[in-house]
Amino acid sequence: MPRPAPKPRRSSLTPFYVILGLVLLAGLAVLVTQLRPKGGAGANVPATAVTLTPEQLQRVKGMSRGREDAPITIYEFADYACPHCAQYAALIEPVIVERMVNTGRARYVFYEFPLQFRWSWLAARAGRCANEQGKFWEFHPMIFARQSDWAFDSDPLSKWGPLAQQVGLDQGKFEECVRSDRYQKEVTESSQLGNSLGVGGTPTLFVNGRKIETPNSYAQFEEEVRRIAPGAFGDAAAPAAPGAAAPADAAPAPAAGTTAP
Amino acid sequence: MVDDEGPELAHDPPPAPPLARMAIALLALIGVLVAVYLSLYKLGVIGGITCQVGSCEQVQASPWAVLLGIPVAVWGVGAYLAILAIALLGLQPAYVHSRRVALALFGLSAVGVAFSAYLTYIEAYVIEMWCQWCVTSAVIITVIFLLSIPGLRRAR
Repeated sequence: MPRPAPKPRRSSLTPFYVILGLVLLAGLAVLVTQLRPKGGAGANVPATAVTLTPEQLQRVKGMSRGREDAPITIYEFADYACPHCAQYAALIEPVIVERMVNTGRARYVFYEFPLQFRWSWLAARAGRCANEQGKFWEFHPMIFARQSDWAFDSDPLSKWGPLAQQVGLDQGKFEECVRSDRYQKEVTESSQLGNSLGVGGTPTLFVNGRKIETPNSYAQFEEEVRRIAPGAFGDAAAPAAPGAAAPADAAPAPAAGTTAP
Repeated sequence: MVDDEGPELAHDPPPAPPLARMAIALLALIGVLVAVYLSLYKLGVIGGITCQVGSCEQVQASPWAVLLGIPVAVWGVGAYLAILAIALLGLQPAYVHSRRVALALFGLSAVGVAFSAYLTYIEAYVIEMWCQWCVTSAVIITVIFLLSIPGLRRAR
Protein backbone atom coordinates (compact mmCIF):
# COMPACT_ATOMS: atom_id res chain seq x y z
CA MET A 1 0.00 0.00 0.00
CA PRO A 2 1.51 3.31 -1.01
CA ARG A 3 2.36 5.67 1.72
CA PRO A 4 0.39 8.91 1.71
CA ALA A 5 2.41 11.89 0.65
CA PRO A 6 3.71 13.79 3.66
CA LYS A 7 2.01 17.07 4.34
CA PRO A 8 4.29 20.05 4.27
CA ARG A 9 5.17 20.93 7.79
CA ARG A 10 6.12 24.30 9.13
CA SER A 11 9.83 24.88 8.96
CA SER A 12 11.48 24.68 12.35
CA LEU A 13 13.72 27.47 11.12
CA THR A 14 10.92 30.03 11.12
CA PRO A 15 11.65 31.45 14.60
CA PHE A 16 15.30 31.66 13.65
CA TYR A 17 14.51 33.59 10.47
CA VAL A 18 12.33 35.93 12.50
CA ILE A 19 15.23 36.61 14.90
CA LEU A 20 17.57 37.11 11.97
CA GLY A 21 15.13 39.57 10.41
CA LEU A 22 14.77 41.48 13.65
CA VAL A 23 18.55 41.76 14.03
CA LEU A 24 18.81 42.96 10.45
CA LEU A 25 16.10 45.58 10.97
CA ALA A 26 17.67 46.78 14.22
CA GLY A 27 21.08 47.02 12.54
CA LEU A 28 19.71 48.92 9.58
CA ALA A 29 17.88 51.29 11.92
CA VAL A 30 21.15 52.03 13.72
CA LEU A 31 22.94 52.61 10.42
CA VAL A 32 20.24 55.00 9.24
CA THR A 33 20.57 57.05 12.43
CA GLN A 34 24.29 57.28 11.73
CA LEU A 35 23.63 58.47 8.19
CA ARG A 36 21.22 61.21 9.15
CA PRO A 37 23.57 63.87 10.54
CA LYS A 38 25.75 63.62 7.47
CA GLY A 39 22.91 63.75 4.98
CA GLY A 40 20.82 66.61 3.74
CA ALA A 41 18.75 66.59 6.89
CA GLY A 42 21.85 67.47 8.83
CA ALA A 43 21.85 70.93 7.37
CA ASN A 44 18.50 71.54 8.95
CA VAL A 45 19.56 70.58 12.44
CA PRO A 46 19.22 73.73 14.47
CA ALA A 47 22.40 75.15 15.87
CA THR A 48 22.94 74.33 19.48
CA ALA A 49 23.23 77.16 21.93
CA VAL A 50 26.17 76.76 24.25
CA THR A 51 27.62 78.71 27.09
CA LEU A 52 30.44 80.53 25.41
CA THR A 53 31.13 83.38 27.74
CA PRO A 54 33.45 86.27 26.99
CA GLU A 55 35.24 85.49 30.24
CA GLN A 56 36.10 82.01 29.04
CA LEU A 57 37.31 83.32 25.74
CA GLN A 58 39.39 86.01 27.37
CA ARG A 59 41.02 83.52 29.67
CA VAL A 60 41.99 81.03 27.00
CA LYS A 61 43.87 82.25 23.98
CA GLY A 62 43.22 80.74 20.61
CA MET A 63 44.91 81.50 17.33
CA SER A 64 42.92 84.14 15.54
CA ARG A 65 42.76 85.56 12.04
CA GLY A 66 40.41 88.06 10.45
CA ARG A 67 38.90 91.36 11.46
CA GLU A 68 38.41 91.86 15.18
CA ASP A 69 35.02 93.47 14.57
CA ALA A 70 33.80 91.01 11.98
CA PRO A 71 30.09 90.22 12.33
CA ILE A 72 30.78 86.50 12.43
CA THR A 73 33.14 84.76 14.81
CA ILE A 74 34.01 81.18 14.05
CA TYR A 75 35.67 79.01 16.66
CA GLU A 76 37.16 75.73 15.67
CA PHE A 77 38.24 73.05 18.12
CA ALA A 78 40.41 70.53 16.36
CA ASP A 79 43.14 67.97 16.71
CA TYR A 80 46.02 67.87 14.22
CA ALA A 81 46.05 64.10 14.43
CA CYS A 82 42.35 63.68 13.69
CA PRO A 83 41.62 62.53 10.13
CA HIS A 84 38.32 64.40 9.92
CA CYS A 85 40.02 67.60 10.99
CA ALA A 86 42.57 67.13 8.22
CA GLN A 87 39.78 66.61 5.73
CA TYR A 88 37.99 69.72 6.96
CA ALA A 89 41.25 71.71 6.92
CA ALA A 90 41.92 70.68 3.34
CA LEU A 91 38.49 71.06 1.83
CA ILE A 92 36.36 73.51 3.80
CA GLU A 93 38.52 75.78 5.95
CA PRO A 94 40.38 77.34 2.98
CA VAL A 95 37.07 78.30 1.39
CA ILE A 96 35.83 79.79 4.66
CA VAL A 97 39.01 81.81 4.89
CA GLU A 98 38.74 82.96 1.31
CA ARG A 99 35.07 83.86 1.33
CA MET A 100 34.44 84.91 4.88
CA VAL A 101 37.67 85.78 6.66
CA ASN A 102 39.45 87.53 3.80
CA THR A 103 36.29 89.42 2.92
CA GLY A 104 35.98 90.78 6.44
CA ARG A 105 32.82 88.89 7.25
CA ALA A 106 34.33 86.57 9.80
CA ARG A 107 37.05 86.14 12.33
CA TYR A 108 38.40 82.63 12.65
CA VAL A 109 39.75 81.37 15.93
CA PHE A 110 41.47 78.04 16.29
CA TYR A 111 41.63 76.14 19.56
CA GLU A 112 43.48 72.89 20.05
CA PHE A 113 41.41 70.02 21.29
CA PRO A 114 43.86 67.13 21.40
CA LEU A 115 42.18 63.76 21.51
CA GLN A 116 43.88 60.48 22.34
CA PHE A 117 45.80 59.92 19.16
CA ARG A 118 49.43 59.12 19.61
CA TRP A 119 50.79 62.58 18.79
CA SER A 120 47.73 64.74 19.46
CA TRP A 121 49.27 66.75 22.28
CA LEU A 122 52.70 67.07 20.77
CA ALA A 123 51.21 68.28 17.49
CA ALA A 124 49.08 70.84 19.33
CA ARG A 125 52.21 72.17 21.02
CA ALA A 126 54.00 72.21 17.66
CA GLY A 127 51.27 74.51 16.35
CA ARG A 128 51.89 76.84 19.26
CA CYS A 129 55.61 76.72 18.53
CA ALA A 130 54.93 77.84 14.96
CA ASN A 131 52.78 80.60 16.37
CA GLU A 132 55.69 81.69 18.56
CA GLN A 133 57.53 82.61 15.37
CA GLY A 134 54.45 84.23 13.84
CA LYS A 135 53.85 81.48 11.29
CA PHE A 136 50.92 79.66 12.79
CA TRP A 137 48.54 80.05 9.83
CA GLU A 138 51.27 78.95 7.45
CA PHE A 139 52.17 75.87 9.47
CA HIS A 140 48.58 74.95 10.36
CA PRO A 141 47.47 73.71 6.90
CA MET A 142 50.80 71.98 6.32
CA ILE A 143 50.72 69.84 9.43
CA PHE A 144 47.18 68.79 8.56
CA ALA A 145 48.06 68.10 4.94
CA ARG A 146 50.97 65.86 5.91
CA GLN A 147 49.10 64.11 8.69
CA SER A 148 49.48 60.66 7.15
CA ASP A 149 53.26 61.15 7.00
CA TRP A 150 53.73 61.75 10.71
CA ALA A 151 50.72 60.32 12.49
CA PHE A 152 52.20 56.83 12.54
CA ASP A 153 55.84 57.79 12.68
CA SER A 154 57.81 57.06 15.80
CA ASP A 155 59.50 60.46 15.50
CA PRO A 156 57.00 62.99 14.17
CA LEU A 157 59.30 65.90 14.85
CA SER A 158 61.58 64.60 12.11
CA LYS A 159 58.68 65.22 9.72
CA TRP A 160 57.57 68.52 11.21
CA GLY A 161 61.02 70.08 11.14
CA PRO A 162 61.25 70.24 7.32
CA LEU A 163 57.65 71.45 7.18
CA ALA A 164 58.53 74.24 9.57
CA GLN A 165 61.47 75.22 7.43
CA GLN A 166 59.30 75.11 4.35
CA VAL A 167 56.91 77.70 5.78
CA GLY A 168 59.76 79.94 6.84
CA LEU A 169 60.22 78.99 10.46
CA ASP A 170 63.59 78.74 12.11
CA GLN A 171 63.74 74.97 12.20
CA GLY A 172 66.19 74.79 15.09
CA LYS A 173 64.15 77.06 17.32
CA PHE A 174 60.98 75.31 16.32
CA GLU A 175 62.35 71.88 17.18
CA GLU A 176 63.77 73.11 20.46
CA CYS A 177 60.35 74.54 21.30
CA VAL A 178 58.52 71.32 20.46
CA ARG A 179 60.96 69.28 22.55
CA SER A 180 60.28 71.51 25.51
CA ASP A 181 56.92 71.57 27.22
CA ARG A 182 56.63 75.31 26.73
CA TYR A 183 53.04 75.39 25.53
CA GLN A 184 51.63 72.54 27.54
CA LYS A 185 49.70 75.00 29.72
CA GLU A 186 48.09 76.78 26.77
CA VAL A 187 47.12 73.56 25.07
CA THR A 188 45.71 72.20 28.32
CA GLU A 189 43.65 75.34 28.81
CA SER A 190 42.39 75.16 25.25
CA SER A 191 41.41 71.55 25.77
CA GLN A 192 39.69 72.40 29.04
CA LEU A 193 37.77 75.19 27.34
CA GLY A 194 36.59 72.69 24.74
CA ASN A 195 35.53 70.28 27.45
CA SER A 196 33.62 72.99 29.28
CA LEU A 197 31.77 73.81 26.06
CA GLY A 198 30.80 70.22 25.45
CA VAL A 199 33.19 69.58 22.59
CA GLY A 200 33.22 65.84 22.09
CA GLY A 201 34.59 64.99 18.69
CA THR A 202 36.65 67.06 16.32
CA PRO A 203 36.42 69.23 14.44
CA THR A 204 33.76 71.13 16.37
CA LEU A 205 32.70 74.54 15.15
CA PHE A 206 30.96 77.40 16.88
CA VAL A 207 29.50 80.30 14.96
CA ASN A 208 28.80 83.33 17.10
CA GLY A 209 28.69 81.15 20.15
CA ARG A 210 26.48 78.47 18.63
CA LYS A 211 27.73 74.97 18.15
CA ILE A 212 26.98 73.71 14.66
CA GLU A 213 27.08 70.37 12.94
CA THR A 214 30.40 69.80 11.24
CA PRO A 215 29.67 70.76 7.64
CA ASN A 216 30.24 68.45 4.71
CA SER A 217 30.83 71.33 2.37
CA TYR A 218 31.38 75.03 2.37
CA ALA A 219 27.86 75.52 1.00
CA GLN A 220 26.38 73.75 4.00
CA PHE A 221 28.51 75.81 6.33
CA GLU A 222 27.49 79.07 4.70
CA GLU A 223 23.85 78.07 4.89
CA GLU A 224 24.25 77.54 8.63
CA VAL A 225 26.09 80.83 9.05
CA ARG A 226 23.38 82.68 7.13
CA ARG A 227 20.82 81.21 9.49
CA ILE A 228 22.77 82.32 12.57
CA ALA A 229 23.94 85.70 11.28
CA PRO A 230 21.59 86.68 8.46
CA GLY A 231 22.93 90.22 8.22
CA ALA A 232 26.55 89.23 7.79
CA PHE A 233 26.24 88.67 4.07
CA GLY A 234 24.72 92.03 3.28
CA ASP A 235 26.47 94.76 1.36
CA ALA A 236 27.71 96.19 4.62
CA ALA A 237 30.49 93.63 4.83
CA ALA A 238 33.35 95.44 3.22
CA PRO A 239 36.39 93.51 2.13
CA ALA A 240 39.20 93.68 4.61
CA ALA A 241 42.26 95.63 3.75
CA PRO A 242 45.33 93.56 3.03
CA GLY A 243 47.10 92.65 6.22
CA ALA A 244 44.03 93.27 8.31
CA ALA A 245 44.23 89.83 9.88
CA ALA A 246 44.39 89.97 13.62
CA PRO A 247 47.65 88.81 15.10
CA ALA A 248 47.69 85.20 15.99
CA ASP A 249 47.56 84.08 19.58
CA ALA A 250 45.07 86.79 20.37
CA ALA A 251 42.30 86.20 22.82
CA PRO A 252 39.09 86.83 20.98
CA ALA A 253 37.38 90.00 22.01
CA PRO A 254 34.06 89.52 23.74
CA ALA A 255 32.22 90.84 20.75
CA ALA A 256 28.48 91.00 20.68
CA GLY A 257 27.06 87.64 19.73
CA THR A 258 29.78 85.51 21.26
CA THR A 259 27.39 84.51 23.98
CA ALA A 260 24.51 82.45 22.86
CA PRO A 261 21.13 83.85 23.74
CA MET B 1 -8.85 11.27 8.33
CA VAL B 2 -5.14 11.29 8.63
CA ASP B 3 -3.51 12.67 11.67
CA ASP B 4 -1.11 15.52 11.00
CA GLU B 5 1.80 13.68 12.49
CA GLY B 6 0.80 10.23 11.25
CA PRO B 7 2.27 10.14 7.77
CA GLU B 8 5.50 11.73 8.79
CA LEU B 9 6.24 9.01 11.26
CA ALA B 10 6.74 6.77 8.29
CA HIS B 11 9.53 9.00 6.96
CA ASP B 12 12.95 9.91 8.24
CA PRO B 13 12.48 13.23 10.00
CA PRO B 14 14.48 16.01 8.41
CA PRO B 15 17.71 16.56 10.28
CA ALA B 16 17.43 19.17 12.99
CA PRO B 17 19.17 22.38 12.00
CA PRO B 18 22.34 22.62 14.04
CA LEU B 19 22.26 25.39 16.60
CA ALA B 20 25.91 26.17 15.96
CA ARG B 21 25.16 26.96 12.34
CA MET B 22 22.27 29.20 13.36
CA ALA B 23 24.62 31.02 15.69
CA ILE B 24 27.14 31.36 12.85
CA ALA B 25 24.50 32.90 10.59
CA LEU B 26 23.41 35.31 13.32
CA LEU B 27 26.98 36.33 14.11
CA ALA B 28 27.78 36.70 10.42
CA LEU B 29 24.81 39.04 10.05
CA ILE B 30 26.08 41.14 12.95
CA GLY B 31 29.50 41.05 11.31
CA VAL B 32 27.99 42.31 8.06
CA LEU B 33 26.38 45.22 9.89
CA VAL B 34 29.61 46.14 11.68
CA ALA B 35 31.59 45.92 8.46
CA VAL B 36 28.99 47.96 6.56
CA TYR B 37 29.19 50.64 9.25
CA LEU B 38 32.98 50.81 9.00
CA SER B 39 32.78 50.77 5.20
CA LEU B 40 30.31 53.66 5.13
CA TYR B 41 32.70 55.62 7.32
CA LYS B 42 35.75 54.71 5.31
CA LEU B 43 34.02 55.56 2.03
CA GLY B 44 32.96 58.93 3.42
CA VAL B 45 29.23 58.26 3.41
CA ILE B 46 28.96 58.96 7.12
CA GLY B 47 30.95 61.73 8.64
CA GLY B 48 31.83 60.44 12.07
CA ILE B 49 32.35 57.13 13.73
CA THR B 50 30.94 56.27 17.11
CA CYS B 51 33.86 55.04 19.15
CA GLN B 52 33.43 54.98 22.91
CA VAL B 53 36.55 52.90 23.32
CA GLY B 54 39.75 53.45 21.42
CA SER B 55 40.57 55.61 18.42
CA CYS B 56 38.58 54.24 15.52
CA GLU B 57 39.24 57.19 13.23
CA GLN B 58 42.99 56.91 13.57
CA VAL B 59 42.93 53.17 13.02
CA GLN B 60 40.70 53.61 9.99
CA ALA B 61 43.02 56.29 8.64
CA SER B 62 46.05 54.06 8.92
CA PRO B 63 47.63 52.37 5.89
CA TRP B 64 46.51 49.00 7.24
CA ALA B 65 42.85 49.90 6.77
CA VAL B 66 43.19 49.31 3.04
CA LEU B 67 44.07 46.04 1.34
CA LEU B 68 44.81 45.87 -2.40
CA GLY B 69 43.23 49.25 -2.87
CA ILE B 70 39.98 48.27 -1.19
CA PRO B 71 39.11 49.21 2.40
CA VAL B 72 39.53 46.28 4.76
CA ALA B 73 35.99 46.93 5.99
CA VAL B 74 34.64 46.31 2.49
CA TRP B 75 36.53 43.00 2.37
CA GLY B 76 34.86 42.28 5.69
CA VAL B 77 31.41 42.92 4.23
CA GLY B 78 32.14 40.44 1.47
CA ALA B 79 33.55 37.80 3.81
CA TYR B 80 30.70 38.03 6.30
CA LEU B 81 28.10 37.96 3.52
CA ALA B 82 29.72 34.81 2.15
CA ILE B 83 29.73 33.19 5.60
CA LEU B 84 26.11 34.24 6.14
CA ALA B 85 25.02 32.79 2.80
CA ILE B 86 26.86 29.51 3.36
CA ALA B 87 25.54 29.19 6.90
CA LEU B 88 21.96 29.75 5.71
CA LEU B 89 22.48 27.17 2.98
CA GLY B 90 23.90 24.80 5.58
CA LEU B 91 20.71 25.07 7.59
CA GLN B 92 18.65 23.53 4.80
CA PRO B 93 17.95 19.82 5.40
CA ALA B 94 19.80 18.78 2.26
CA TYR B 95 22.97 20.54 3.36
CA VAL B 96 22.99 20.08 7.11
CA HIS B 97 25.55 17.30 6.81
CA SER B 98 27.29 18.63 3.72
CA ARG B 99 31.02 18.35 4.01
CA ARG B 100 31.52 21.17 1.53
CA VAL B 101 29.42 23.56 3.57
CA ALA B 102 31.26 22.63 6.75
CA LEU B 103 34.63 23.01 5.07
CA ALA B 104 33.68 26.34 3.50
CA LEU B 105 32.58 27.75 6.84
CA PHE B 106 35.68 26.44 8.56
CA GLY B 107 38.03 27.67 5.81
CA LEU B 108 36.53 31.12 5.43
CA SER B 109 36.40 31.75 9.15
CA ALA B 110 39.96 30.43 9.58
CA VAL B 111 41.21 32.95 7.03
CA GLY B 112 39.15 35.61 8.81
CA VAL B 113 40.67 34.73 12.17
CA ALA B 114 44.18 34.82 10.77
CA PHE B 115 43.62 38.21 9.15
CA SER B 116 41.93 39.58 12.27
CA ALA B 117 44.86 38.38 14.36
CA TYR B 118 47.22 40.27 12.05
CA LEU B 119 45.11 43.44 12.31
CA THR B 120 44.87 43.11 16.07
CA TYR B 121 48.66 42.81 16.22
CA ILE B 122 48.94 46.00 14.13
CA GLU B 123 46.56 47.79 16.47
CA ALA B 124 48.42 46.62 19.56
CA TYR B 125 52.04 47.05 18.49
CA VAL B 126 52.24 49.31 15.45
CA ILE B 127 49.46 51.86 15.66
CA GLU B 128 49.20 51.41 19.43
CA MET B 129 45.52 52.25 19.26
CA TRP B 130 42.33 50.30 19.26
CA CYS B 131 39.22 50.44 17.20
CA GLN B 132 36.30 48.98 19.12
CA TRP B 133 34.55 47.87 15.93
CA CYS B 134 37.64 46.08 14.67
CA VAL B 135 37.93 44.28 17.99
CA THR B 136 34.23 43.43 17.84
CA SER B 137 34.74 41.96 14.38
CA ALA B 138 37.76 40.00 15.56
CA VAL B 139 35.71 38.49 18.39
CA ILE B 140 32.83 37.66 16.03
CA ILE B 141 35.00 35.89 13.48
CA THR B 142 36.81 33.97 16.24
CA VAL B 143 33.52 32.71 17.68
CA ILE B 144 32.32 31.81 14.17
CA PHE B 145 35.52 29.84 13.65
CA LEU B 146 35.05 27.94 16.91
CA LEU B 147 31.42 27.23 16.07
CA SER B 148 32.40 25.90 12.66
CA ILE B 149 34.53 23.10 14.15
CA PRO B 150 31.68 20.82 15.30
CA GLY B 151 30.24 20.98 11.77
CA LEU B 152 33.42 19.35 10.44
CA ARG B 153 32.93 16.33 12.65
CA ARG B 154 29.30 15.94 11.64
CA ALA B 155 29.99 16.37 7.94
CA ARG B 156 30.05 13.42 5.57
